[in-house]
Amino acid sequence: MIIDIHSHPGFIKEICQNPEREEFRREKFYLYKQTIWPAELVIEQLNAAKIDKAVLLAEDVSSRYGDTIVSNEEIKLLVDLYPDRFIGFASVDPNSKNAVQDLKRAFKDLGLSGVKFNPSNQGFYPNDSIMDPIYELCVKYNKPIIFHSGMTWIKNSHSKFSHPLVFEDVALKYPNLKICLAHFGWPWIMDTAMLLLKYENIYADTALLYFDSPKQFFDTTFNKQLGPYWIDRTLADKVLFGSNYPRIEYKRMVDAVDVLNLREENKTKVLSANAIKFLGW
Amino acid sequence: MVEHFDLKIMTKNDYDVAYIGSKVKEIVDNSKISNGIVSVITAHTSTGILVTEPLECIVSDLEVLLRSIVDDDAEYSHAHFLSTYGRTSANATGHLRSILTGNNCLFPIRNGKMLLGAAQDILLMEFDGPQERRVFIEIIGE
Repeated sequence: MIIDIHSHPGFIKEICQNPEREEFRREKFYLYKQTIWPAELVIEQLNAAKIDKAVLLAEDVSSRYGDTIVSNEEIKLLVDLYPDRFIGFASVDPNSKNAVQDLKRAFKDLGLSGVKFNPSNQGFYPNDSIMDPIYELCVKYNKPIIFHSGMTWIKNSHSKFSHPLVFEDVALKYPNLKICLAHFGWPWIMDTAMLLLKYENIYADTALLYFDSPKQFFDTTFNKQLGPYWIDRTLADKVLFGSNYPRIEYKRMVDAVDVLNLREENKTKVLSANAIKFLGW
Repeated sequence: MVEHFDLKIMTKNDYDVAYIGSKVKEIVDNSKISNGIVSVITAHTSTGILVTEPLECIVSDLEVLLRSIVDDDAEYSHAHFLSTYGRTSANATGHLRSILTGNNCLFPIRNGKMLLGAAQDILLMEFDGPQERRVFIEIIGE
């Protein structure tokens, strides 16, 4: 089984009925020329990559830009279309006074499986006290959090909000809260490796591609900049497969996992077993 | 006189072949043009249009040939982040195979019939799928 923990659905036809909203997404998500594809084609793309399930991520930037990039209701709509293939993650805007209420509704009424935050694009520090009631709610409902971490492509957004080290306070204060640092916190991958080594409740995903092809970039990042056996020998329970689709194709990212020096049982962990644990299934 | 038609084809894999000769023939059969030329043109830069005998062995040999000329894991300058797109381009193989196979083919139309040879079929070659592909069918004649 393969689970992709990091997939962006903003350009799926079924939630792209409004041209103004589509344009807003292109600008605020910094994905200018993405073709609008029907959900049926996304399923074909998952099939071609042998991915069984993909986590679809919402993103709420209402207080900065007046709208969501993808709303929780749109995520719910897509999950309902393909409940066996899509897993829905909510988003709420921490700077909104309704954040806790919105998140409670996303978990209780919409049945979403976790929540995604982008501190850079949403403009907050993860260790800010405004996040405490949100973290408490996630612990209460046993829902994991995926944080954008590391560099952001988004214009007018600061990467400093998403530096891996700013998540250490959260991991310490909420040891029962499961946190995934998306994009392995690139370029601060050594800091991410330290956090994975130290904190049981921190995970990281493989949705990173900033130079070269997926295989070349994984080789540089995981085999040269980090120790080539670090994941296999020590961090195999902490790394989740993520694609960052549609900034890159699903299949190319799945194929790139082959360049990691993983024994078969650890490859299974990275591709699915760790995600199952993270999702609390 | 010119008639325009579009074919939409959803491909199933990163490398895939769709046989579209019968669809083009059907369009010509229903056209008002009896004598002229039909052109089949792909709208994309990581697909190809080919004419060959649709035997599994030939199509398989073609795949081996294209993969040997354009290696899946070679070093390609195209593998980098494209700021005008907001995404990474890792599909150099698709573009190069597309260049090698070309983007179109032509067939004559005589007395209302498209002259597709008994051994011929038209192949839409997918080199960067799965995707929803568009093929233009332009019929020119009288």
